[in-house]
Amino acid sequence: MDVLQQLVNGLSLGALYALIAVGYTVVYGIVQLINFAHGEIFMIGAFGALAVWLLMAQGSVGLWILPLMLIGGVGFAVGTALLTERFAYRPLRNAPRLAPLITAIGVSIFLQELIRLFFGRIPGFPDAKSAIPFPQIDGVTGPALDIGGVIVQRGALFTLIALLLCAAFLFFFVNKTRLGRAMQATSQDPDTSRLMGINVDRIIGVAFALGAALAAVAGLAYGLRYTNIDFRIGFLAGLKAFTAAVLGGIGNINGAVLGGLVLGIVEVTATSFIPGTFGGSAWKDVWAFVLLILVLVFRPQGLLGARVVDRA
Amino acid sequence: MRRPRIVTPELQERHGNLGRLLAIIGGAVLALSALLPWSYGFDALDGMTLMFYPSPLQIMGLVLGLVVVLGLVCSRRFPVRRGRPVTGWLRGARAAASGALLYVAIILIAIAVELGGLVNVTLGGWVALVGAALAFVGTRLVAPGPRGTLYDAHARNWLELLAVALVMAAALFGLAYALDTDDPGIFVSFLVFVGTVIAALSGLGVTGWLSAVSQRHRSVLILAAFVVAFLFPFTQNGSDANMSIATQVIIFASAAMGLNIVVGLAGLLDLGYIAFLGAGAFMAAVVSRSAFATLDIHPPFVVVVLMSGLVAATLGLIIGTPTLRVSGDYLAIVTLAFGEIFRITMINLDGEAGPDLTHGSNGIPAIPDLQLGGFNFGKAHTLLGIPLGRFSNYYFLLLLVIALIILVFTRLNNSRIGRGWVAIREDEKAAEAMGVNVFGLKLFAFAGGAFLAGVAGSVKAHVDVSVTPDQYVFLQSAFLLAAIVLGGMGTVLGVLVGAALLVLLPEKLRFVSEYRLLLFGLTLIVMMRFRPEGLIANRRRQLEFHEEDEELAERIDDQIQPSELKGATV
Repeated sequence: MDVLQQLVNGLSLGALYALIAVGYTVVYGIVQLINFAHGEIFMIGAFGALAVWLLMAQGSVGLWILPLMLIGGVGFAVGTALLTERFAYRPLRNAPRLAPLITAIGVSIFLQELIRLFFGRIPGFPDAKSAIPFPQIDGVTGPALDIGGVIVQRGALFTLIALLLCAAFLFFFVNKTRLGRAMQATSQDPDTSRLMGINVDRIIGVAFALGAALAAVAGLAYGLRYTNIDFRIGFLAGLKAFTAAVLGGIGNINGAVLGGLVLGIVEVTATSFIPGTFGGSAWKDVWAFVLLILVLVFRPQGLLGARVVDRA
Repeated sequence: MRRPRIVTPELQERHGNLGRLLAIIGGAVLALSALLPWSYGFDALDGMTLMFYPSPLQIMGLVLGLVVVLGLVCSRRFPVRRGRPVTGWLRGARAAASGALLYVAIILIAIAVELGGLVNVTLGGWVALVGAALAFVGTRLVAPGPRGTLYDAHARNWLELLAVALVMAAALFGLAYALDTDDPGIFVSFLVFVGTVIAALSGLGVTGWLSAVSQRHRSVLILAAFVVAFLFPFTQNGSDANMSIATQVIIFASAAMGLNIVVGLAGLLDLGYIAFLGAGAFMAAVVSRSAFATLDIHPPFVVVVLMSGLVAATLGLIIGTPTLRVSGDYLAIVTLAFGEIFRITMINLDGEAGPDLTHGSNGIPAIPDLQLGGFNFGKAHTLLGIPLGRFSNYYFLLLLVIALIILVFTRLNNSRIGRGWVAIREDEKAAEAMGVNVFGLKLFAFAGGAFLAGVAGSVKAHVDVSVTPDQYVFLQSAFLLAAIVLGGMGTVLGVLVGAALLVLLPEKLRFVSEYRLLLFGLTLIVMMRFRPEGLIANRRRQLEFHEEDEELAERIDDQIQPSELKGATV
């Protein structure tokens, strides 16, 4: 039972990574940019959901508020992502590769500080310089469920279900809609797709928005699961999610989901099954990054194969 | 994006003479206003309350005013002659006038802030503002005139050497003055003044000439720079507080210079560079004679320096070997992850989650001062009657370290290896096709940069007295990167300026400390958008960032000296 329990823990952790990793992969697939600030978009998604709760339902924990929080989080995250794309990244599209990477670091620090300094300035909002308790909504949080001897936290279950729904939506969006197919075309060959009448600028915007929306879902799930959020949560989560995206094969959306799940499982099993002093939660982040380096040595194209033409 | 133009060439043609008159009057008024008091209270800035007794800040205003007048008068007296190098008198005056307006405005604002309200500005302050505004409007109305081409000029040898000496002396006094101010208003005004002077000189074409002169007298320049750096502690009257800041600047600059090899020359984005510095510092700490050191071996310091460098370089090889084979973007994120691994590992090697090497997050405190031969770095010494404190001693040692790093940097830059790096940076595939050993050179840059960071870290451990994991976090790597981006990738002077600014600004402007990181992030974004080559640009780098700018390409082409064609240094 222990193995099964760890598997469930790993999957639910991995679901969080997977949701964020999609954003890295979609953007990278189209503009070959590692959007360092994507972790911060995830953080802003969580804060956006919190803001909606604070404005509309402070004190209440009814399930009815959850969709509103989701919409609020997604709205904030997508808005931020589109603004950064328009004002920070788009002017640099033809610049040497170093330039947008440095900009991305700047954006990341800027967004963190924006939340840290100004979230608490809004009347009625708690100070964001330390961790803020996240509302524990009825139904999706509360006592853990016992499914055939495996203990599942409600927040973890919520994350898994969210991932399933999002993955289904993504599959439908990318393969069945015009916009999704235009996105695939752009990621294969932006110049030709421009000739075919695709508005590449718009597609890039869609890619940023899509990634941000999923990251916001992850932000909400994070808040429900870990009960606290602060302005720093984006850094490590973003780093892990990028690892997941590389693990699955960067540019490959299915790969990002798979990579996230695998990374979650590896992290949980490494923590509980590596014997001696190097097991235990103190080293879990180290194992995740060691995995990243191993992947780059032995299978740089990732588990499912990168879908990016190397234009370096 | 094109800026809308209010002042059109036609307007300049019609009102050029009026503008000239306005500007001369404005400049003279600004210069004369230095003799009047600017503020009612003596507490504001450096006390500008006395008639006919200008304070240092007022003298700076006077200088700017005179530069405006001089530029306009000389543009008439010395018209452009064919075949002779051109002095950009009008461009210089223009830059000086714009800067002067900003300068006076900032001083008035500072007076208002410090004394509570603009009522504290006296007549002199307003006169200065009017003068600066007149000069600004006037110079805008005059057509800018030809660009300065003084870089073609050759003066007598002794004159050129004198110029080098003067620039160095100005740098020394400027640094001492900047370090000595506690008042944020004075500090900002002074920065604006320095920026304005540099802009005016560059308008005149003098900076181009100085750059050409420094090419001709390279060794003199380097010697002079080190003499100035060496003399600096003697201007501080044994004040250890200022010297502590100065040592921080040099440590930061050495690390940034090492990173500059990796980022600026080879074009590899390393976001975990601080970890190499940390590796060197921890190496030096665990073998130091601290009571908390965990290894019971105490080799002499020279050996420790080498060991620190080698440990860092080995880590660099371990990280670099897998990641440098794949596309460059991965390197950024892997080094970022490596920085995290390093920090977590240092925290975990506390005896509980791993073997006890670093005492976890407490780190290793009480690292004793260095003892080289009979010389104890912790004791104050007196040289030529001037007391030199603990930090002054370390300052001299760090000067040696940074000299070594700069030497490595420039020698590599002008070598076959450096040219290989440029080739890789500009087009990796083309470089490989031309027979450049891409992987080998990248790995060399990465591990070499790590080695230098390790060396700097080993000294830093002793200067800081204690080494803890939280000194070596991602944000520090980002700061190092920012120093390079701000100053100018791939240049020595630029990185020194960037490092000095990034250490001094937060130190002197405590009132913005809350918004420090916000401004810092914004600076990175804005710099990349509008001036990716940094404040002091490496010419080749500037061209890489502005590939489509034909005018710039021609201008740089004109300026490049035959002696420079071998390598691109500024």
